[in-house]
Amino acid sequence: MVEILNVSNLSTAFQSDYGSKQALKNISFKINEGEVLALVGESGSGKTVTSLSIMGLLPNNAYIQEGNINLIDKKNNQVNILKLTDEKHNLIRGNDISMVFQEPMTCLNPTMTIGDQIVEVILNHKKISKTKAFKEMIELLGLVEIPDPTQRAREYPHQLSGGMRQRVMISIALACTPKLIIADEPTSALDVTIQAQLLQLLMKLKNSIVSKTSILFITHDLGIVRELADRVIVMYQGEIVEEGKVKDVFDNPKHSYTRNLIQSLPEFKLEERKLTKKDDNKQTKVDDNEIILKIENLFKEFPVEKGFFKESNETVKAVQNISLNVKKNEVLGLVGESGSGKSTLGKSIIKLLQPSRGKIYFNNENISEYSNKQMIKIRQKMQMIFQDPFASLNPRKNILDTLIEPILVHDLMKKNEAINYIKEIINDVGLPIESLRRFPHEFSGGQRQRIGIARALVLKPEFIVADEPVSALDVSIQAQVLNLLEKLKKTYNLTMIFISHDLSVIEFFCDKVAVMYLGHVVEIAPVSKLFNSPKHSYTRALLSAVPKVKGKDKEKILIKGDIPSPINPPSGCVFRTRCPNPGIDCKGGNIEMGLIEVEPGHWVDQCCANCN
Amino acid sequence: MNFFIKKLLIVIPTLYIAWTVVFVTLNIIPGDPVNLMLGGRPASDEVRENVRKNLGLDKPVFERYTSFLINATKGDLGKSYLTRQPVTTMIKENMMPTIELSIGGLIFGVFFGVFFGIFAGTKPNSMRDTFSMIIALCGISLPSFWIGMMLIYIFGTTLGWVPIVGEGFVSLILPSITVGLFFAGGMARLTRSSLVDVLNQDYIRTARSKGISKYRIVLRHSLRNAMIPPVTLLGIQFGLLITGAVITEEVFARPGLGQLLLQAILAKDIPLVQALVVYMTAVYIFLNLIVDFTYGIIDPRIRLERNRG
Ligand SMILES: Nc1ncnc2c1ncn2[C@@H]1O[C@H](COP(=O)(O)OP(=O)(O)OP(=O)(O)O)[C@@H](O)[C@H]1O
Ligand code: SF4
Ligand SMILES: [Mg+2]
Repeated sequence: MVEILNVSNLSTAFQSDYGSKQALKNISFKINEGEVLALVGESGSGKTVTSLSIMGLLPNNAYIQEGNINLIDKKNNQVNILKLTDEKHNLIRGNDISMVFQEPMTCLNPTMTIGDQIVEVILNHKKISKTKAFKEMIELLGLVEIPDPTQRAREYPHQLSGGMRQRVMISIALACTPKLIIADEPTSALDVTIQAQLLQLLMKLKNSIVSKTSILFITHDLGIVRELADRVIVMYQGEIVEEGKVKDVFDNPKHSYTRNLIQSLPEFKLEERKLTKKDDNKQTKVDDNEIILKIENLFKEFPVEKGFFKESNETVKAVQNISLNVKKNEVLGLVGESGSGKSTLGKSIIKLLQPSRGKIYFNNENISEYSNKQMIKIRQKMQMIFQDPFASLNPRKNILDTLIEPILVHDLMKKNEAINYIKEIINDVGLPIESLRRFPHEFSGGQRQRIGIARALVLKPEFIVADEPVSALDVSIQAQVLNLLEKLKKTYNLTMIFISHDLSVIEFFCDKVAVMYLGHVVEIAPVSKLFNSPKHSYTRALLSAVPKVKGKDKEKILIKGDIPSPINPPSGCVFRTRCPNPGIDCKGGNIEMGLIEVEPGHWVDQCCANCN
Repeated sequence: MNFFIKKLLIVIPTLYIAWTVVFVTLNIIPGDPVNLMLGGRPASDEVRENVRKNLGLDKPVFERYTSFLINATKGDLGKSYLTRQPVTTMIKENMMPTIELSIGGLIFGVFFGVFFGIFAGTKPNSMRDTFSMIIALCGISLPSFWIGMMLIYIFGTTLGWVPIVGEGFVSLILPSITVGLFFAGGMARLTRSSLVDVLNQDYIRTARSKGISKYRIVLRHSLRNAMIPPVTLLGIQFGLLITGAVITEEVFARPGLGQLLLQAILAKDIPLVQALVVYMTAVYIFLNLIVDFTYGIIDPRIRLERNRG
């Protein structure tokens, strides 16, 4: 096996006002020709710093203390990258080693056409004419499966969706057929269905035109590692703690961090009993008779801004004709890709947004038309937990003030009483009492989310909408927070709506799931039903798009194309433009949508129920 | 609606408001214009009445105001009290030198501003950054007319490199620099901060990952994105350009609208002052319109937004 890159004893540090901070500690690894090497580790473990060290793109305050990075370049010469001047390094960047970055939204120049951005790298490294380069560019766009390349080449990045932009990034990386492509979390900012498309594309290219190119694939998603990589390196706090063939590492992790990482995956935890749920006798029973929340034909539409002279009559159709109910002590999960309307639905239910039409019954009280003033009393019973714990906390208030405020506003207790009560809650969410005197920035992400949870609990609500409460956290922290929520659900007797785009989290946490697509709920079913026998085509595709760590890989159902605009959604079944196997009746787009019950508790959109 | 039409619809009321302000301020200044016209000479009431009629001052204020607006729209702004010539003729005669000076100043100002901005912004927190920013600070805080006089003294009188007075291109250099200095400092600082910002963007990292030289990264990938705030500043500072020209003409004893305005003010020649201010506001608003349009050229996102709107 030919080794193309050898990193030895690399140490990198950052200089800051507080002194220097070690980001990489003496790491060594190598990459062989044509292999896919995965680099995993939690946020801040040094994955990006490793790739930027190789690319020579470290920020100004970073410096390499020691080490060597040897590359066998295209001319078969061995070069030590770290000894190169910036000019010499430029001959390698984009040519021998190229990179795909994490942020598809911001990593292309907004003022250059995408065609120009691709041609640029070709002309930079190849001595060919402009017309020739232009032709190569069009070919590349075709290779990454961008429809209508000649037209697209003339467009600007903001005219493309995130998935398309990432395809453009990939074509830039491929342009000079490099020896090594570094892909730093190339799909984590994208929806699962788009992620599945891109990963498949990447592998297809890997196995065809760039078969000799190696890929260093950085990710925190162990499912992807399992699907794509030959070997894996695990990083922890700037050190490589484990390295080996993917199968060996997964089956037999040596380092405790790796073991933790693997076991903290929600799908594993069910078996390993790391998580406390599904201990059936302890579980609170869902009360079948008491419906806490019932919504009927709910709509929420946002007017499209159009500048000041013209009133627009177009609307973003964020929530379309949704009816569902939640029973006491039940957890209803909402899943769907970004833009499907999950958060809008959640906010409309507790009336942080005023719904456009429809009814909301909370404890049999129709609150849909309540004014903000009337809602104040209800809010005490309905709370929300947000995705970004930091943004939702006031940075200038210490935790005690943040938590005590709602109690005093609602006049629930006297101040002394309230303080004791808050101490109890802070203890319940697993934080030390001293935290109360501290400010939000002094906490880690996971701790902040605990504070967010505590804040939602202080008013002793019956009902909580949790909007992606763990998405911003690392997998291992996710598990802790989920366990906590699970415990609190019982102690506080909560009914919940739990929003997440992560199916494994939903599977672990919810009793019942509603799948959303373009503002519609297309399927509702008890968790086990939904995961084992999904009925709707979209649900099936969504389930299949998720990379699985365990279990045999079934043939993937790939969804074509991008999500249509919610301003002009397709008529009839909203999913028909991307449906992998539409029925004959679906194509015309003149079937009405609406849920029907196919089995007790299992509701599916009627068009799909009929054609499958 | 079309972006251009929308913009024009905003320009027209703006112009009328500006002109109203001009009219009101100049017509509440104490002092009888007839006295000013007569230059203090004694005159009979009959003569006074005649002059009054002649100037249209016998009409009620509101009527005078409306006819002022109508005439201003037609480009007719009355006759000078002093020379009795139509003010538009006087303005036309004096316009060219000022236009030359303003363009010269614009070029120098933008050149120095952008140059020092790039020089500093491509290497933040370095010696050259500090150096450039000190220069920019001097440009902002030292009075330009003083710098103008220093330039005359050094390059004109002492070194004799450039003529101080006279005609032609060369004599324009020192005055243009002086005018340019009015806004070069601000331009430099804004260009720098905007460039520093852009150079930290993700797409610059992408460009570097392609192995592109640093010059190309600055020129092709950064400048265009970095120029939006400086161009906006330029729009706001056209006023400074005009002020700069007025003061500089005085310092360099050049003919032009600045000199004319100064004389008109000293002589309390209200129609002339009024006309000059009317013209300058119109030019100012018009130049800002041009700036608005250039955004679209710089940034495709804005262009698209407009076409859609
Ligand atoms: N510009 C910077 N200045 C100072 N420290 C930095 C800087 N960038 C990264 N670090 C530090 O270097 C360490 C490694 O960061 P790195 O970005 O490589 O993590 P990562 O594994 O890529 O994380 P993620 O999964 O969040 O992308 C962290 O401790 C981080 O705080
Ligand atoms: S209704 Fe038809 S088009 Fe829609 S998802 Fe089902 S099969 Fe596909
Ligand atoms: Mg990273």
